[in-house]
Amino acid sequence: MRHHRIKICSLTMFGLLAVLSRADETVVNSVHDLSARGPGPVRAIYENEICIFCHTPHNGAPQTPLWNRENPRTHYRIYRSSTTDARIDQPTGPSKMCLSCHDGSMALGNVLSRPLTHPIMMTARTIPPGTADLSNDLSDDHPIGFRYDRALSNADPQIRPPEVISSKLPLGTHQEMHCTTCHDPHNNERGDFLRISDQMSTMCITCHDMKGWSHASHATSGKRTTGRTVDPVERLKYATVADNGCINCHKIHSAPERERLLRFRREEDGCLNCHSGTIANFNIASEIRKRSSHDPTRRTRVHDPVENALTMRRHSECADCHNPHAAAPNPIGLVRGTLGSLVKGPNLRVSGITISGRDINHINYTYEMCLKCHADGVARPRLTTSRQVSQTNTRLEFQTSNPSFHPIAGPRRNTDVVSLLSPLRVGSVITCTDCHNSDTARAFGGSGPNGPHGSIFEPLLVRNYDTDDFNTESAQAYALCYGCHSRDSILGDESFSRHRRHIVDIRTPCSACHDAHGIYRGQGNSVNHGSLINFDMSIVQSADTPAGRRIAYEDTGRLAGNCTLTCHGFTHVTIPYSNAGPRKSALKSGKIYRGGRR
Amino acid sequence: MIGAKVLLVVSAAICFAITGLASSGLEGSKHDFSSQDFSGGDMCAACHVPNREDTPKNAPLWNPKADLKKRFNGQDVRVSRSGDGTRICLQCHDGTIAKPVVPGVKTTRFVHTKHPSTFTAGHGRSDHPVGVIYPAFSDQFHPVTTVLSKGTVLLPNGRVECTSCHDPHNQSGAPYMLVKSNARSALCLTCHKK
Repeated sequence: MRHHRIKICSLTMFGLLAVLSRADETVVNSVHDLSARGPGPVRAIYENEICIFCHTPHNGAPQTPLWNRENPRTHYRIYRSSTTDARIDQPTGPSKMCLSCHDGSMALGNVLSRPLTHPIMMTARTIPPGTADLSNDLSDDHPIGFRYDRALSNADPQIRPPEVISSKLPLGTHQEMHCTTCHDPHNNERGDFLRISDQMSTMCITCHDMKGWSHASHATSGKRTTGRTVDPVERLKYATVADNGCINCHKIHSAPERERLLRFRREEDGCLNCHSGTIANFNIASEIRKRSSHDPTRRTRVHDPVENALTMRRHSECADCHNPHAAAPNPIGLVRGTLGSLVKGPNLRVSGITISGRDINHINYTYEMCLKCHADGVARPRLTTSRQVSQTNTRLEFQTSNPSFHPIAGPRRNTDVVSLLSPLRVGSVITCTDCHNSDTARAFGGSGPNGPHGSIFEPLLVRNYDTDDFNTESAQAYALCYGCHSRDSILGDESFSRHRRHIVDIRTPCSACHDAHGIYRGQGNSVNHGSLINFDMSIVQSADTPAGRRIAYEDTGRLAGNCTLTCHGFTHVTIPYSNAGPRKSALKSGKIYRGGRR
Repeated sequence: MIGAKVLLVVSAAICFAITGLASSGLEGSKHDFSSQDFSGGDMCAACHVPNREDTPKNAPLWNPKADLKKRFNGQDVRVSRSGDGTRICLQCHDGTIAKPVVPGVKTTRFVHTKHPSTFTAGHGRSDHPVGVIYPAFSDQFHPVTTVLSKGTVLLPNGRVECTSCHDPHNQSGAPYMLVKSNARSALCLTCHKK
């Protein structure tokens, strides 16, 4: 008997709990229950009916469903974006019904079933300012009032075709998007009256097919979001990055940055909120404060995802090199020349310019991303070193048909390069980031993030690279070059037989004779600009010769050539050098190897 | 046993108190026509006669003068399948007599033939559909057995009629002659699963 009672008791309790937990599934006791016994701060003072604020059984507005309110006559400012393909119009139908309260313009108690002179008395006349007040400015809210049809999904590959959209998210009679597509005003089971959960972006990715999202860090990271910079004022709905998904960065309603509904007006703030040593593994904020950096804080609201690389203003935003919808971790081991310049996780699905100058949406090689700004565009950086032949277009400097170039866009088969350190060899391909990288990059033995975010060495170099004249040679002075080119080989005169004399004795820097990027084939040939020879005109001057003032280098064969120039007061007129002899003996003695070490 | 008796008395008292406060019943309600000239001092005669030979189904002793074959918007209400619970009411509430309820209802098409749930009324306003079969399988509505088990809302012949929500005899005394009070929208939520 006693057992029975306990059983019945527990069953009753269970039932009660079930009833209580299901309470939010109906409009009753949700914040849309505006009756006097409603739970929210906005409610009626006397009225005890619940449906009456929106519906009436008789003499309702002409529109379904038995609508008990006038429609607002507000003209709304609507969402605009450079990347949307939807034709967004003024809201209609059910959306207007929602806005009859939620635009804050109409009195909540003015219902058709009551005379205007005797509206329902409410605790607030109109919806009070806050998250529920969308105002007449809908440009900071997710767009509504556009047709979600096949034409839209065809135009935008990141929008799913309408026929695959779950029937839980209903569109309007003309396939238009409404408030009611995402919200069910009668059911607050999931919070915010959402029709389906927004955990792990389930709601958003029903329609939005962000390419690469399924494997992106932002979709999979289990890091807790509680340590964000702005957390004290703005709490995210869920605990981890993966659970929050889209809403980590986007705000669906009343977004501070209207276009693309971002949480921050300044693009970089959205990234640095987590990538400043708070949530993400690496502190990018400290990187971009270094002496030489791709500083995204320098310019704001210049970047546009559909910008033309040729005409855009100069800027560097995080999104120029990273696609937050696709960025994935850097696979361990994929560093420095081992896989050439194939694009890696953090830069997946970023737009770029190919070495032939073609605009592409998704880069295949890392350098294509750099060429967006450092190639043909007017935004490219200006010249820093005055050289024999000047070129600021790095795309031209790295052409594989050039007389000489560092092998970024393709391998180079110059056997004159005898100084390469393993695993590099003649025929290897390197990337821009092998030289231009953070001085604390993980890939180079540091502890910081990889990538050209910032470096204490200008211009954004991974290691020190002195370019001043009369510079004392040391491993540190030309650490950048010595990272790949053996110092022993260079100073052992294995390639150019006067290297040691020039670098150590006379103290000229590498950059006095060599142009690190390359010489465009339109500006030189393999005879006068082989071996990356392109004199720094602030160090090297022309020489007086019988034929007039000249500055020239001439390649006369393997590891041989001659120079005509004035440098450090010495005038060279066709002074020859050759390393064919010592090189052969060196080969025999086993000091150096043809084509570098293997 | 004594407890049961006490309970009975208390509940009876409460019932009496509620009904007493709400002034239920036909007498004194708007359907009490005894003071009208046409009724001849009879409260019921406007709608009922003491006996009738061809008693229609579901319309007890209905006054034959009140038989209705009005055409609304080219459609006979009978044809538009409104049940008795609706036709009887529209005898008066068609906008000619009891105007405030359904003004200008003469042009009203009460039930949309293709979309029975929609209710486009010719008077420029919308009204709850009547004469529609109660949706048996819908997640928007409570099951018909649940609705009927409460005993307040009736579904004559399985349809929603005026008499589903309104009681012309005002037995409950609820405002608008509703079959029960709509406090907390209880009447709406009897059927609607919202």
